[in-house]
Amino acid sequence: MAGILETFGLDWAKFLSQVIIVLIVYGILSKYAFGPVLSMLDARRRRIAEGEANLETIKADLGKAEEKVRAMLEKANADAERLITEARDSAEAVRAQKTQEAIKEAQSILEKAREASRLEHEAALGELKRDFGRLVIDATSKVTGKVLDDKDQKRINEEAVGQVAL
Amino acid sequence: MVSFDSVLPMLAAGGIGAPTLPSLGWFTNSIFVAIVVTSAILLFTRMATRRMELIPGTKQNLVEYLIEFLYGQVEGIVGKHVAPKAFPLLATVFIFILVSNWFGLLPGVGTIGWGEKVGPFLVDSEFVDAGGHHTFTPLLRPATADLNMTLALATVFMVVWFYLSIKELGVWGTLVHIFGPKGGLQGMLKYMLMPIFIFVGIIEVVSIVFRPMSLSLRLLGNIFAGETLLHTMGNLGATIGLPVWAAKISSVIFPLPFYFMEILVGALQATVFSLLCAVYIKLATTHEEGDHH
Repeated sequence: MAGILETFGLDWAKFLSQVIIVLIVYGILSKYAFGPVLSMLDARRRRIAEGEANLETIKADLGKAEEKVRAMLEKANADAERLITEARDSAEAVRAQKTQEAIKEAQSILEKAREASRLEHEAALGELKRDFGRLVIDATSKVTGKVLDDKDQKRINEEAVGQVAL
Repeated sequence: MVSFDSVLPMLAAGGIGAPTLPSLGWFTNSIFVAIVVTSAILLFTRMATRRMELIPGTKQNLVEYLIEFLYGQVEGIVGKHVAPKAFPLLATVFIFILVSNWFGLLPGVGTIGWGEKVGPFLVDSEFVDAGGHHTFTPLLRPATADLNMTLALATVFMVVWFYLSIKELGVWGTLVHIFGPKGGLQGMLKYMLMPIFIFVGIIEVVSIVFRPMSLSLRLLGNIFAGETLLHTMGNLGATIGLPVWAAKISSVIFPLPFYFMEILVGALQATVFSLLCAVYIKLATTHEEGDHH
């Protein structure tokens, strides 16, 4: 056995040196490589998990917000539709009212104009009759050479006016 | 005399025993290489992990990838519970063996050294003195081509293995695990088969005792054989009598395919060693069905 070990170059001093080297590598790698790297990997894994969880929360919030926005938009659209309809109805009513008012006003103006015209016409006719009566009286007075009293003037005037068909 | 003839002929170390460097006592060329490999590993990992950031740089990324990959493999074998305790040793063993094996393929390892002077910068690496000993002493020798190193790796592993076994199962639990009845036997049958289980336990103990040797000799044999193969291929031209210039060229061309093979073997042996260690840990820390946890 000793011969075999000697052939393979086994020597306790050399063996112990190698054991020490292996232990040094083992210790230092454990402390400065595996520990920090595994901690970092764990931290990264946790961070990714948190990120995923946050992402899910954000997605849910976004869904809720979109739903809310959609509801608000629908409500706004409905309100707008209602307002437009109301405005249209109101405008229609105002227009009809204004039209009616305008028609009434126009009719009133026409009535007034007609009344004024009639009054003017009657006034002009009265004036004309009076002028005609006065002319007849003057003519009668000149033709007869007689001064007509008020009674005659009134009778002649009435007769003359009665014979004029205006 | 130091040989600088290493660039062309790939010559292996003379003999399987790691020679002590001249005038340095116990300090062998493989210890020197082990220190170089250790320094390289520690320097690189220190550079990569000095300023760890959530968004890693190139070196940190490489180290993280390697460690995460190895951790996944270890966890897959030994389980989630034991993995945190077993991983540092198994990863250390894998990385150290891998780097050591590949370090042995660098030009100059096993070829620069002391020997019988035959030219201004040449020594005869094949020279054997009257006592039948190789006189060539390489300056650099792969650490895993030295039994002292492979046995050191296996011994450290066995110590940690023993610690993990006792920690997981306790002293009594470990004894029961080795010598106790398997398969959840109950009643009379259990007591009738006890002698067989005790006998199986004794065989198990023998196999455990031999584990350091089997682990270390397997690794040593493969790496030393690889070195010898490259050496033989490097010298093949001269051996079959080619002219000197052709022998020089052939010493580069002939070993080339075997270099690729040795890269594979280096990775494979690191994997085999650490895989077996993981399996041993798994076997020793697995609770039998019905055992107390």
